[in-house]
This record gives sequence, C-alpha cells and structure tokens, in this order.
Amino acid sequence: MISITEKNLKISESTNSFLSFKLNEEHFALPVMKIKEILEVPKITKVPHSPNFLKGVINLKGAVLPVIDGRVKFGMSPLEFTVDTCILVLNVDVNGEDVAVGALVDSVSEVFEIEENKIHPSPTIGTQYRADFIQGMIKEDDRFMMLLNIDKVFSSSELDSIVETKIDNNI
Amino acid sequence: MIEEKSKKIYIEEANELLISLESSLLVLEDDPTDNSNIELVFRVMHTLKGNSSMFGVAVVSEFVHDLETIYDKIRTGTLELTKEILDSTLVSLDHLKIIIQDTTLENAENKENHYRLIKQNNALIDNETTSIKSEPILNSEEQLNSFHIYFAPSITILKNGFNVLYLLSELSEIGKTSVLPFIKQLNELTEFDPIDCICSWDIIIETTQTSKEILDLFVFVKEDAKIEINELKCVDLVSNKEFKKIIEESFYQEEKIELSEILQHAKTFGKSIEIKKTEEVLALPLSKNDDHKKKSKKKSVTSIRVSSDKLDELMNLVSELVTTQAGLSLFSEKNKIQELEGVTENVEKLTRRLRDISFGMTLLPINTMFLRFQRMVRDTSDVLGKEVDFITEGGDTELDKTIIETLTDPLMHVIRNSLDHGIETREERLKKGKTAKGKLLLKAYYSGVFVYIQIIDDGKGMDPAVIRSKAIENGLITEEDHLSEKEIFNLIFYPGFSTASVVTDVSGRGVGMDVVKQNITDLKGTILVESKLNEGTSLTIKLPLTLSIIDGLLIDLDGVKYIVPVSVITKCYEVQNEDMCNNFNKLLLLDGEQVPFINLREEFGYKKLDTGYSQLIVVSDEENSVGISVDFIVGQYQAVIKPLGSYFRKQDFVSGATILGDGSIALVLDTHKIIELYVEQIKTEV
Repeated sequence: MISITEKNLKISESTNSFLSFKLNEEHFALPVMKIKEILEVPKITKVPHSPNFLKGVINLKGAVLPVIDGRVKFGMSPLEFTVDTCILVLNVDVNGEDVAVGALVDSVSEVFEIEENKIHPSPTIGTQYRADFIQGMIKEDDRFMMLLNIDKVFSSSELDSIVETKIDNNI
Repeated sequence: MIEEKSKKIYIEEANELLISLESSLLVLEDDPTDNSNIELVFRVMHTLKGNSSMFGVAVVSEFVHDLETIYDKIRTGTLELTKEILDSTLVSLDHLKIIIQDTTLENAENKENHYRLIKQNNALIDNETTSIKSEPILNSEEQLNSFHIYFAPSITILKNGFNVLYLLSELSEIGKTSVLPFIKQLNELTEFDPIDCICSWDIIIETTQTSKEILDLFVFVKEDAKIEINELKCVDLVSNKEFKKIIEESFYQEEKIELSEILQHAKTFGKSIEIKKTEEVLALPLSKNDDHKKKSKKKSVTSIRVSSDKLDELMNLVSELVTTQAGLSLFSEKNKIQELEGVTENVEKLTRRLRDISFGMTLLPINTMFLRFQRMVRDTSDVLGKEVDFITEGGDTELDKTIIETLTDPLMHVIRNSLDHGIETREERLKKGKTAKGKLLLKAYYSGVFVYIQIIDDGKGMDPAVIRSKAIENGLITEEDHLSEKEIFNLIFYPGFSTASVVTDVSGRGVGMDVVKQNITDLKGTILVESKLNEGTSLTIKLPLTLSIIDGLLIDLDGVKYIVPVSVITKCYEVQNEDMCNNFNKLLLLDGEQVPFINLREEFGYKKLDTGYSQLIVVSDEENSVGISVDFIVGQYQAVIKPLGSYFRKQDFVSGATILGDGSIALVLDTHKIIELYVEQIKTEV
C-alpha cells in the first residue's frame, strides 16, 4: 500500500497536469499521466451477470477493454448517453500490475496545471465518498474539484467487494 | 573463460541434457536391461561432454568422461548396471547441475564433492564384471549373394503416406532384382478404395549387401508390412536370364512364392542352393544398432532454439491476422464480387493453417513437467521410507508454456503433500489390507475449453471431522458453522491451515495450500478436493485455455453476440418460444428424448419472448446434456479468445471475449458453468 501512495506522489511531483471531467454535475480531476486516451463511445457489449457499475466491454485496438460507468461507481444514477459522453482509458495500478480500464464520464472539461501546494488535503467529513478514494481537493475559481486516487478507486479488491455485495443482493 | 552469452546457452543446453539423462536413468532403474535407454544415456553423456569441451568447461567434460566410460562399459557388456552405479550417477547428476554454474569450483564444498565423486566413479569403472560378451564377428567379405524377399505391405500403407515404389527402386539400386508383383482379389468396384494397397511383392535380388543391410531399407515400413528375407546361397540367379524367365512366368500372379519352389527351379539349372537362414521380421524388434541409427537420424532435425519473445509476437500477429481475416470475409460477403470471394476463401484457409501451426508451437506437452516430478517422487519417498508407484497419464496434453511454468511449483507441493500425509508406510498399508506399494496418479486431459489436471492417491484420505476441529481451533470457523463436506475440504486452502501435528522436512507447515490455490486462481482456474477416509484423496485442477483460438458457433441473443465452442455442441434444434415459456419441468421433447434446457434470455436478464422461434443448442460435458436457447445462429466462427480481465473474475458464464470482423465484441460462453448452474438448480428444487 505504501508503495502505491509513494508512486502517486512521485507522479504528481513530476507533473502537475490534470484533466477535469464531469460526472452528473460534480467536477473531478485526474493526473494526465494516468490517462492513455479519450474515446468516443463505441458499441459496448454488455456482459451478463456482471455488477451494475460495469457497463460492458469494448474493442480497443484488438484488446478487450472493460468499461465502467463512472456515475454508478460513485453512487449516482446510471449515465445517459449524450454527444459529450466519452470514455477515459485509464492506466490503473492493480496490485503492482498495469491494467487498462475505460471509465464513462458525462463530459471532459479541460487540462490544467496546478502547483502542488494548491492541492488541499481531502476533508475527512462532509463528503459522501470514501476518504481513500480522494487524493485531495483542488479549488478553481469558486468551485471545488475532487482529485481522485484512481488506483484506489479501481483497485481489484475494491471491485471484488462490490461484486460480492451485489451477488448477495441477488440471492 | 566463456563469454556471458555463450555461457548462458551452454547452461541452458546442459540443463536440458541433464533432465533427459535423469529421466532415462529413472527408467533404467525399473528395467536395468533396457538397452535402448543405456544407449541413450551414453549418447547424452557424450553430447554433454562434447558441449562442455567446446565451451571450454574442462571440469564438466572431465567429470562426464568418467561417467561416459562407465556407461560405455555397460553398453558393451563389460560392466553390469547395478543400483550402486545408478545411485552414484544420480548423485553425480545433481553435482553436475551445480558445477555447470560454478565452472571453476570456487565453492569449497563443490570442490570437495567433485573429487570425492570422481574417485567414486573411477572405482566403479574398475569394478568390471567377468561377463564379457564375445566380440561381434564382423563379416567384411564383399560377396555376391542372392536373396528372396517377400514384402507384403498392409492395406493402409499408402494412406500413411509411404511410396512403395521408392522402396522397390532403392532395392534395385543395390543389386540386380527380379520383382514379381501379386495383386489380391479386387472387391466390387463400388467398394474399392483407390488408395488401398492391394499388392504384395516377391523379389529376388542379387547383391553384395548382407541381409541386415537389406532389412535396413525396410526400416520405415517395418510396422506396416510383412517382410521376409531368405538368403539363397547362390550367386547368379537373377543374372541367369533363363531362370529369371521361368520364375517370372511360373509365378506371375501368385502370392508369396514358397522357397521350395524356387529351389526346385534353381535345381533345374544345376545350381546348388542351400538356404542359410530364414529371417522372419514381422514384429521383430530391430537390433540395437538399427535403433541407434534411426534415432540419431531423427535427432539431427528435431528442434531449433527460438526466443520465446519471438514466439509471443508471432502468436499476437496470428491472432490479429485471424481477426483481420474475419473482417475481410465480412466485407467480401457484403460485396459479392466473385474474384474477391475466391481470394478471401484462400486467405481463410491459409490463416486457419497458420493458426494451427503457430499455436502448436507455443504449446508444450505437459510431460516436460511430469518428468521433473518423477525424480522428486523417487527422492521424497526414499526419504520418507515409503514405497510409491508414480503413474502419469495424458503426458501429451499440451499447455501454454507459461501455464506449465506457473503450475510446476503448486503441483510439486500437492504431490509432496500426498506423499507425506496421504500415502501410508508399508506396515500401515498392509495392516489396512491395501497393497504394500502406494499409488500416486497424475493425470491431465482436455475437456471443452478447459484442461484438467488430477492428482489422485490411494492413501489415508482426509477426515472432515479433524479438519473441522482444526479449523475451529485456528478460528477459521466457529462451532456453530455448519459446513458441507465440500466446504470443509475447502478449508485446507486457507492460509495457516495444517492438520499435520508433526512438522516434517517434507511438508506440514501449513504454508502452501493457500499459495497453491492462489496460483491456480491467478491462472483463472479452480481447484477441487475430494477425499474418502482410508481410500485416498483426489485433487482436480481445472484451467481455462486462455491463450487460444477455438472453433465456435456465433450466436445472437437480444442483439448481443456470443460464441459457443463447437467442441461441446452435440445438436441444434428449432423450438417454439411458446413451448419454453409454459414449461414447468424445464424439459423439451426433442427427437423422442427429454432434453432439459435453460432459457438464456431469462438467465441473462433479457426480455422473454413468448412467440416465434428460438434455436436450442444442446451442449454437454462428461455427464450432462443441457439445451440453451438463443435467438438465432449466425454461423461458424474462428474465435481468438481474449481474457476479460480481472474485473470480470467473478463472472461465471463468460470465459472470454473475441473480436468480430466488424470490430464489435462477442462473448465466449462457458458452457460448463451453465451446465453446472443447471445441475445446481435441479438440486435446490429437489
């Protein structure tokens, strides 16, 4: 675990570029380094009996890429497709292994740079998200953006636990 | 000093040679008179010696030289192969494995061992027995002689790809021949298969070769034909035109000329014929030397070294080619251009062949792994003082090399466990009324898109009660937990669980089974334990063939495409949706048989259809057949199976995905899981 946070720190040290995007009406940000590419939404093949936040799989240059509904992952209502909807292809570190995963988001806003010291520590209370999902808060103009700890959000154990509760519900 | 790179090659090759040596020696242990294996051992040692001196590793080459001398003596019969020699050789092999890394004997312990073993081996060399075989008499006279050869190939020889005419022309190259063919009675023309071989031949040949040399010509057909060679002590039969004419006239169209008849005719020409010996060759094993020749001939072209990176790249390219080809097929189908269709068909054929060949290349027979265990079982059972028969089955089952590598350690662990905790000592076994020798079976086989590996012993088995109380003690479960037998056995895979009260050298620290399970899970496989007290334990590992291309049936279900592996399909039917909806038994009457079915639309949460037709595909595993209903069948499809990734680890019904010609994705159905689900449903309903 320590190694992962260290790695993240190193990445954010080496580059302060972030990409901001919207889920529902909320703003989130990710280090640009973590993003492989941004896609328009192709045909998604739904996998039966999969947890509801997993939207399905797509063909990414000959490889099978799982696609996650970012909204459902964060406890919002499922995403509705618009012209702005797109897939962020992310490089996630799952137990030391590089895994590619696609995340559906409502829209992508911009790429910006910010000084390290402008990133505020995440508040321990007052957010409905798990504290370890959020790496920090970025204040831009008058609004707050949540900087995501992407490895944590998409880590395998995290998925497993969600899958398990889902199966329990089914029974 | 050897360069780093060549040193690596040397070590790799030496290790391979040592492994093959080891396996041959273990066979010799069971049957010390197996001459072909002694030959093999000697040859491998010789190669190893040669390699070592080529790379300048004098320590190894000198050491192997002594071993080679021992086996040379055994080979020629001046030394008898004793257990002492075998033991010493095996220890020497272990030593060799070490010193090929430490070629200058820097390690003091290695050095000591080295000289001790050299002494030991030298002592063995001098220990000659008196059973000296007489020198083989060499017949170097180049004398003209005549032979009568009867050659009757089996009816299928042409189907096996052998051209009999070549053989006959080869015969005529070594001497003058008179060839008399015989054609057996033909069947009705309608039943006649043009590639059946219905001929047999009588050949009289005049040559300077010996009968053994003639026999060598037949070496490739000996399994497929009846061959008899009779030496006629007569010089110039074939050159004698009149004799030839008479023989040819009187025996034309007669199967197998009797020797006495040839004699008779020869006599009329005043030739004194005496038949020296009659050699029946049918099913006669070839003499040692022939065997040697045949094998070394094969050896020289068996394999070349290719880096695994290149192979991986080839695999990826072939996979992409298959996908691209699917796109081309789709395009040609749409456009209906005749020329294009022809080309597409050819590309498809070539792709399929290329696919088969390249996938065959990266697969290794599981035997490579089994051989390593043989030695381990021998040593471990020695240490434990137990007698064990180690049997392997299905060694030719092929698996991806990376899977084999990952599997070796877990399997090693399981086998060790079986030997240590499973199989009892001789006394215990006899008391229980079992055979004195324990049995350990290692078995591998394919089923559908899975490969199964089983380890079965006939030892003392596991007691669920003991495991249960141990698990309670360790806090894994509580007194109140009621577990089925299956669940109890599954407890052994939890970290820190061990029922052995004594920790032995071999196993029993309770670290291990959890690692085994982890390794298997990493390969997306499952592991199942079954055990009966005092009867034995069986452990079944089931692995998906991840990196593979399968022939599948492309089907459509509510607009989503799925692939069903053709290998599991028994039949397809068309059924009315109405019949499926109002069906409480979940049974359909098809071809006079009741077929249980699963409505996939229902199962996968799509909208149920109650009118129109569906296709029912009947799939089966070893025990059960279940029909699965789909909207319609699109057609056959070569599917490159790609893993769904760790996100879908809990996903039961889909074992992978494949990319279709139009770039969209089809999911590969795991029919075994669907059958399992069906069986479970039946159980819960009962």
